[in-house]
Amino acid sequence: MALITPKRERSTRQVRPQTQGLAYRTKVNFRHPATLIGILLILLFGYLIVAPVISLLMGAVQVGFGDEAKAGAGAGELTSYYLARVFSSPVSEIIFYTPLRNTLLISLCSIALALMSGVPVAWLLARTDLPARRWFSSALIVPYMLPAWTFALAWTTIFKNRSSAGQLGWLESLGWEPPNWLAYGPLPIIVIFCLHFTPFVILLVTNAMRNLPSELDEAAKMAGATAAERWRRITLPLLRPALLSAATLMFAKAVGEFGVAYVLGLPAGFQVLSTTLHQSISTQQSGVAAVIAAVMVVLGGISLLIDIRFLREAKRFMTVSGKSLAARVVPLARFKVLAFTLVAALFTISVVLPLGTLVLSTVMRVPGHFALSNFTLDYWVGHNLPTVGFNRGVLVSPETWHAAWNTLWMVGLAAICTGLLGLLVGYVVVRSPLRQLGTALRVITFMPYLVPGLAFAVAYLSLFAVPRGPIPALYGTATILILIMIADEMPFASRAGVSAMMQLGQEAEEAAQSLGARFTRRMRTVIIPMLRGSVASATLLPFVSGVQGLSLVIILATPGTQLMTTLSMTLIDFGYTHAANAVVVLICAIALFGTWATQRLFRSNLADGLGG
Amino acid sequence: MAQITLSALSKTYPGSRTPSVQGLDLEIEPGEFLCLLGPSGCGKSTTLRMIAGLENPSSGRIVIGDRVVDDVSSGRCIPAEQRGLGLVFQNYALWPHLSVRENVCFAPRVQKLPKAERELRVQQALDTLAIAELADRYPSALSGGQQQRVAIARTLAARPEVLLLDEPLSNLDARLRLEMRAEFQRLHRQTGNTMLFVTHDQFEAMTLATRIVVMNRGQIQQVGTPMEIYNAPANRFVAEFMGNPPINIFERGQNAQADAWLEHIDPHVATLGIRPEDLQLTSEVHRPGSGQLTLDLRVSALLPTGGSWIVELNDGARRYFATTQRCPQVVQGQLVPVLVAPQAVHLFTGSGVRYERMEVAA
Repeated sequence: MALITPKRERSTRQVRPQTQGLAYRTKVNFRHPATLIGILLILLFGYLIVAPVISLLMGAVQVGFGDEAKAGAGAGELTSYYLARVFSSPVSEIIFYTPLRNTLLISLCSIALALMSGVPVAWLLARTDLPARRWFSSALIVPYMLPAWTFALAWTTIFKNRSSAGQLGWLESLGWEPPNWLAYGPLPIIVIFCLHFTPFVILLVTNAMRNLPSELDEAAKMAGATAAERWRRITLPLLRPALLSAATLMFAKAVGEFGVAYVLGLPAGFQVLSTTLHQSISTQQSGVAAVIAAVMVVLGGISLLIDIRFLREAKRFMTVSGKSLAARVVPLARFKVLAFTLVAALFTISVVLPLGTLVLSTVMRVPGHFALSNFTLDYWVGHNLPTVGFNRGVLVSPETWHAAWNTLWMVGLAAICTGLLGLLVGYVVVRSPLRQLGTALRVITFMPYLVPGLAFAVAYLSLFAVPRGPIPALYGTATILILIMIADEMPFASRAGVSAMMQLGQEAEEAAQSLGARFTRRMRTVIIPMLRGSVASATLLPFVSGVQGLSLVIILATPGTQLMTTLSMTLIDFGYTHAANAVVVLICAIALFGTWATQRLFRSNLADGLGG
Repeated sequence: MAQITLSALSKTYPGSRTPSVQGLDLEIEPGEFLCLLGPSGCGKSTTLRMIAGLENPSSGRIVIGDRVVDDVSSGRCIPAEQRGLGLVFQNYALWPHLSVRENVCFAPRVQKLPKAERELRVQQALDTLAIAELADRYPSALSGGQQQRVAIARTLAARPEVLLLDEPLSNLDARLRLEMRAEFQRLHRQTGNTMLFVTHDQFEAMTLATRIVVMNRGQIQQVGTPMEIYNAPANRFVAEFMGNPPINIFERGQNAQADAWLEHIDPHVATLGIRPEDLQLTSEVHRPGSGQLTLDLRVSALLPTGGSWIVELNDGARRYFATTQRCPQVVQGQLVPVLVAPQAVHLFTGSGVRYERMEVAA
């Protein structure tokens, strides 16, 4: 994915003659509305993105309050104490090296598995006469719209054993206690990441395949190449940019994802970077946390560099002239039934099973006991449940409604702001006569992509917990949650905005300008209406990931600003599995409904938002 | 050298009611430069793709050399990669991730030739198309004409006996087209390959082909040499499709002078057609000789094209075109007597079939 270097389809700038006066040039440049907007945006993102990231990184080399004695220096002074503690102390192995290895193991395995299952499915969806392929191409994306730890909860519901508290697992109550390696730790985490990531691969690769002219394959066929040779020498190399983009995206997600490892790793003592980060934060070791967070940023940066490197190579893939016919459909003939079965199986495993398990678990008193008398709606609508806290059904307890309302308005507002800001960034990048302004904005809005949500939240906490200048202390307010959600989604939103503005071309705006329309009117009557679909998808994506986002908000939400995700985590901590699962089911419902409604209203789709 | 025989070849795409190709019978002789010509959607590309093996016929038989490659009734079908034909695509279909050399070397590599032989073939193919200096570039760094040459070189390196070309010139600008046309002719002479060329451009077909197959709505309209097709179109479709500006058509009852002339002709004749170059604009009043057709038409526009002129004429109801090599001595709005030699008039029956007259000039 061209996250940082969008291809410039046509340059709108001309080389200016050297003789042009500086004063004149400055005046022209600064009169362009894009310049002013650009400067305002840089100030805004400087505050929302750059400042937190810098304060985060500084935390790794500055003595924190209370660490003066250990570090042997005054608070605020530079120190290598935290670096030493993380990288070369007796506890390094536990707090850093093992989690790092685990993180790499899990992300690499799950990426490989997701590619292996996603690519064939993408091919079936993009190129063959698979029955119901239109339906599948939306249905198989569903796991992407669900929080990753939904799967973790479903997994524990089925496989959990006596290592963790709460209700019995289904298998356990059927009389077989699953061993630890099946219930917790790397195996289930890899499987779940794979299920959660496969939709990415499907989305990106299906798009890439649709844009691949069938003639490239046919030309190889005419040259006498067998099907295997054609895959190896033509199709796969051509898909490499898309595959790498998907892999980079998955890697960043896998490194930053917290919920899955929290639910499935901790009971087996299996630590990854995000969980040690969480631990050091909750034990007040903010210096160590900053170092770990910085390592996660570096990991993201490396994956990005790889992506950019290959992207440069991939550029020459894009500009091949000549028009192409619509992709031809490959008849599956006798493999039709087999292919359909496989795709249906993937759908079952990645959507039906986890969601079904969760839904079922909320209507059964004793887990895994499938008798009619065992079913109940008490956990949804009942009163006086036999629990200490949260003793009403999910749908009738005020906590749920409070959290649901918080989620809807906070995430909704954040998503709308993100979408509009993304569009403005696109406008500045594409139209500003000051090229540097656009570049700076692209780089800044991209930074959150590299910072894991938890670490970003830590930075927000340290920066905005106390009043600074004119800004009051934000901890415990909805504002801090909304701001961080906006900042976190900017990489995708600005990318979507840039590509939307590029597609628009500037004639439409120039036509309005030549007829005397000023900037605000041009925006209102020409640009935004024309980009309605893109704005919708640029809003949809932040909404969907905001509704299910956990790591970003888990340390920032307070009882007053409880969101659905943090509520369900709280319930898990208390061992109220029924209620936690029911809340997760509600989250899924909101995410799915939001996606469906946006697609219906604006005919946009997720793949556009991803910019695949 | 391979002969290609198509018998009763038909193709109906799934979901479509009308067949794209219908009952095609055609023999392509070894070494011939045959052109499939027709408007877009006439089934010419489908025919080519069926020969290539990229599309499967719904019924019929294709024989290449002594090999039956497709026979729907016996269920025999040889996949494209085993037919040994070369196909040049309309959009060239160069592999963007491979350099020119790697593109050209693809087929020799697939054929598992020894290294020396591979390199020889690549070099020969590059030399034939005069693109040796482009060998290390990537397709995106090539112009349209260069991509075209690479696409042909890539096909030649496989040493196919039959070269199939699917509208290979349609993405090039006018000047390059002219150049490439000459190139194709040279290539045909040099390799002696059987070449099958699909185009919707009659000029291309006329200049290149040794034989033209005119197709419309999935069926063959006429097969013949370029001059046969132009001078004796088998039906109204062929007459109207060939020629630019198009042939002038006079239906019975459309023009009084044409009707009067038609009185001497078989009543089955419903239409007459006259090529623009056969309309002779005269300045003085001619007395019509016997059998001579004279039409009084008004000049509505004069269009110089450089070497010749197009004159737009009308009889009050319809437009006609005449072309002349010399500057026409007429002015706009002038009523001009237009003479037509009787043997230059094409006659068609009510169903549009060519009517051969025995003794028109009598």
